[in-house]
Amino acid sequence: MSLGRFLLKRAVQGVFVVWGVVTVVFLLRFITPGDPVTFIAPLDASQELRRQIAVELGLNRPIYVQYFDYLWGLVWGDMGYSYISNTEASTRVFARLPATIELAVAATVVAVVLSIPLGVVSATRRHQPVDYGATLFSLVGISTPNFWLGIMLVLVLAVQFGFFPTSQRGIGFLPAIGQTLAQFDVGFVVDRLLELRLFDVWDYLTELPVTTWLAHITLPAITLGTYFTALITRLTRSGMLEELGEAYIRASRAKGLPESLVRYKHALRNTLAPVVTVVGLQLGTLIGGAVITEAVFAWPGLGTELIRAINLRDWPIIQGSLIVIGAGFVIVNTLVDALQAYLDPRVVAD
Amino acid sequence: MVDLDPLPFVSYETLTRVREALTPSPRTVRNLRKELRQSGLAKLGIVLIVGVVLMAALAPVLAPHNPTNQNLDENQLPPLGFDRKTTNTTTEIVNGSISIVNQTTWVNSTVEHPLGTDSLGRDMLSRTIYGARTSLIVGVVGTSIAALFGVTVGLLAGYYSGRIDDVLMRSADVMLAFPSLVLAVALVGLIGTASLRVPDPFVLVGLTPNMPETFTLPGTVIIVVGLVNWVWFARVARSEALSVRSEEYIKAARSVGASDRHIVLRHVLPNSITPIIVLATIQVAAIILLESALAFLGFSGTTLSWGFDIAQGRQYLSTSWWIATVPGLAIVVTVVGINLVGDWLRDALDPGIEGEGGGP
Repeated sequence: MSLGRFLLKRAVQGVFVVWGVVTVVFLLRFITPGDPVTFIAPLDASQELRRQIAVELGLNRPIYVQYFDYLWGLVWGDMGYSYISNTEASTRVFARLPATIELAVAATVVAVVLSIPLGVVSATRRHQPVDYGATLFSLVGISTPNFWLGIMLVLVLAVQFGFFPTSQRGIGFLPAIGQTLAQFDVGFVVDRLLELRLFDVWDYLTELPVTTWLAHITLPAITLGTYFTALITRLTRSGMLEELGEAYIRASRAKGLPESLVRYKHALRNTLAPVVTVVGLQLGTLIGGAVITEAVFAWPGLGTELIRAINLRDWPIIQGSLIVIGAGFVIVNTLVDALQAYLDPRVVAD
Repeated sequence: MVDLDPLPFVSYETLTRVREALTPSPRTVRNLRKELRQSGLAKLGIVLIVGVVLMAALAPVLAPHNPTNQNLDENQLPPLGFDRKTTNTTTEIVNGSISIVNQTTWVNSTVEHPLGTDSLGRDMLSRTIYGARTSLIVGVVGTSIAALFGVTVGLLAGYYSGRIDDVLMRSADVMLAFPSLVLAVALVGLIGTASLRVPDPFVLVGLTPNMPETFTLPGTVIIVVGLVNWVWFARVARSEALSVRSEEYIKAARSVGASDRHIVLRHVLPNSITPIIVLATIQVAAIILLESALAFLGFSGTTLSWGFDIAQGRQYLSTSWWIATVPGLAIVVTVVGINLVGDWLRDALDPGIEGEGGGP
């Protein structure tokens, strides 16, 4: 099979899975108890008013009509109107998406930066203190509920020491960068540095928008990223150990290659291929997995919006956020497959 | 060899075969023993699990207080060895003028409540002991539901392959598009939290009269955590079934006229059971974490849950850190124990992974 055909096949499969996701999410309203109208109408609403609400929202139509109507709307990016706030559901959902993606990417960055070096060091210094430390960290990391970890971080670093804000997002990444670039005064900083007024420089830097952004995202990113870090540390360590036991490593050593070259060029490179796949797959689950981290930090993302909508039975928002979470996973997954197929031609052959 | 059993699916014979399939071979038992002797971590895991199981089983006997008894006079007592500072602000009229007096007092811990009390004066130690029940029951029953459903689907898909396989595996793909927490939150939140009250045997026989008479099982949560995790079992069972279905002995069984059910239960299941058991162990840990997350978000059918206590403790972080800290530590200890046992089982049962790879 050629690469092009492989990618096309994956894309078509992805479209079908997304269609399945949409169907399941749509049916959710019919398999869960409770009529949406009861949540919208006042308690003392007359029968006539209830009927009128149902007609207005199109809830009195047969299921299949509602289904095809909903599907057709989705094709054009229309998820209906929020039952509660009377804004377009898609507007609300997509307004929340950047915050969640930002958090998921930040968590991935934390995880990758910490875990791969830790896994490699742990594998190359087997049975030494650093290896035991890394093993203990990854065991506890995969066993800790991340919402509790978040609360403990808030307790120690925000409440006790006040290093970080306890919650909220503060400012988005792009506005933070834009505003910082706009207001950053290089001359001011250089002058202060030359006068050795370091506290002034520190004060100036901590008041920059990008610092605000960093302060707000640090604890949520660690909270969301720890499980992931532990997982990849384990994976890197065992992968590296396996590679170091292979015959080609012995051959490289035998022909006199420096140990650093053997380890970091040969062994690490082969270890990283499956790691990249897992990182990609995890990024897809983090978009939905952020739900609880967002709840801990009052992070204005998709997860907090979903929980709010569930409690209010705001169906267009529930459906919209679930579809974005599910479709996001499928899209990331398909992209990872494509990347892997590009990097490793054996995948296509299977 | 020929299967002539005319009874419905769950007959005595079926059960016997499932039991046989689950009975470990002498070689397996030997491997488990050997691995256990060599690994201190495996021993630690078993000790932790036995501890938590005993805590859950004997909760009414072990708990020093009724975990639901409120005592507002003793609210937010710190754990042994800690103090809590409180500031009382009183307004007094001294010589005709109003003065505001800030008075700092220290609340001391008491031996009565070694892990302190929560905001309503309930004993944290007792709540932590009772919380083990919820976690373990949800973890074990939820995993059983997921395994029963997932393994059945997976074996059928792998054994018959073709159209059935396609349909089942495509629906598994759709399920996998949602992280299990998201699906669980949506289902429990939308269905509602039904719960089941089970009489506590210790109280029933009058052994511990002061303890709660019934234990509340979070019914919706148990079913939902099972339903959102079946896919993992289905995938593992399917790939195992796929790999053995073309083996010679399966062909032999079929050629002498054995029924599909006979082949699946007698040959396919026993040969797929090892990875399923390892997966089930890890799933118990995952489901305990999932239950605590649901309870933390307020989607639980019981208030005696570690996640619930973390949620209520979060509101008192600045004054009483222990309310959120203690139940979290209980979760970590339990899940670490289960993961250690999971590693032990994987190393002992899976001949594919010898030790941890080679290395210099």
